[in-house]
Amino acid sequence: MKKTLLVALTLGATATAATNVMAGGVDPEKSRIQLVEYFKAKNPNIAPEEYINGAYIYSEDKMMQWRAAEEFPPYLDSVDAGEALYEQDKAVYDKCFGSDVTQIRAKYPRFNESTQQVETLEGQINQCRADNGLKPFKWKKGDIAKLSAYFAYEARGQKINVDASSPGAKEAFNKGQAFYVQERGQLGLSCAKCHTYNAGRKARSNTLSANLGHTTHFPVFRAKWQELGTLHRRYGGCNKNMRAKPMKAQSEEYRNLEFFQAYMSNGLEINGPGYRE
Amino acid sequence: MLKMKMKQFLTAVAVSSACVAAPSVAFAADKGASAIEEGKELAFARSKGNCLACHMVDDGAMPGNIGPALIAMKMRYPDKQKLYNKIWGTPETVVEDSMMPHFGANGILSDEEIQKITDYIYTL
Repeated sequence: MKKTLLVALTLGATATAATNVMAGGVDPEKSRIQLVEYFKAKNPNIAPEEYINGAYIYSEDKMMQWRAAEEFPPYLDSVDAGEALYEQDKAVYDKCFGSDVTQIRAKYPRFNESTQQVETLEGQINQCRADNGLKPFKWKKGDIAKLSAYFAYEARGQKINVDASSPGAKEAFNKGQAFYVQERGQLGLSCAKCHTYNAGRKARSNTLSANLGHTTHFPVFRAKWQELGTLHRRYGGCNKNMRAKPMKAQSEEYRNLEFFQAYMSNGLEINGPGYRE
Repeated sequence: MLKMKMKQFLTAVAVSSACVAAPSVAFAADKGASAIEEGKELAFARSKGNCLACHMVDDGAMPGNIGPALIAMKMRYPDKQKLYNKIWGTPETVVEDSMMPHFGANGILSDEEIQKITDYIYTL
């Protein structure tokens, strides 16, 4: 009984601390460590490394089903298609990203000091195409998601390692974090309400996934979509569920949010593309 | 002429449907029960109250577990108005970082709909 009370108190204290910290401009590394500690306190039996597997970590049953699905994953054809897209314009991509395909995914998102903007993998794929006279892909799904999935697949096992040490990068991180905790839409929800404070709980029969590890497995092949989609496609869908106005894919808001979320997952393994419900 | 016939036809339809509708008005005792039934429908509908998203409610299938189960409501809310206010989202009922939407304040439901839902929830 005493122990339960202590855990409850610690949780409460951590939650309050997290709320306070998230409100203002903070050091990204301090914020990340607090989030990891928060989830450790919330679920002592789940190691931080496990969060790359999303909501499945909360249920043995669902985890088994998911692992079974990942044995013959429905996204493999799309990864092959992504490889074909890469080979087709390899000379161009080599110019932008270097010739080693395994070394592309882990570079993004990153903060570009000269433009003072966050660069994402998908954003840079299209930037690269446009700069070299190729037609940019459409955002959110299709070829952009396939190529991104191929880059992720080739980088599996590498660790997320986002640098937010410069003043500009810190500001982008803080903007992303502010977006994350901001209540929006008719339901008055925020990203944090579901994916931090209530992660692991259920909305109807859907388990809410945790912020920690959110970006490691993107792009994802969702059963609901029956195809691959990018992180920003998911953000848009999430905002719509909140009855809030979705931002455009690759908007500054979503790029900063991705930067914040990716930084929070620093040290976790890249395991994209992933299969999700 | 055609317009006239149409009018007659519509009147006939209106009168006959009024006759059909009349019996339900006659059973005054059922009125309360059907209002509560209506409240239940509003509470369960995904585009309306969607209470099951977060709460275990009555016989609702696959409820969420973000909020507390809706049981013993009369004991928890001796003052029924306070339950109404909680659903409506009056400032003094708002809990920081809670997922509970402010159904009235944010115009998700009409006051009438909230009243029906309150009537239903209060039976649990």
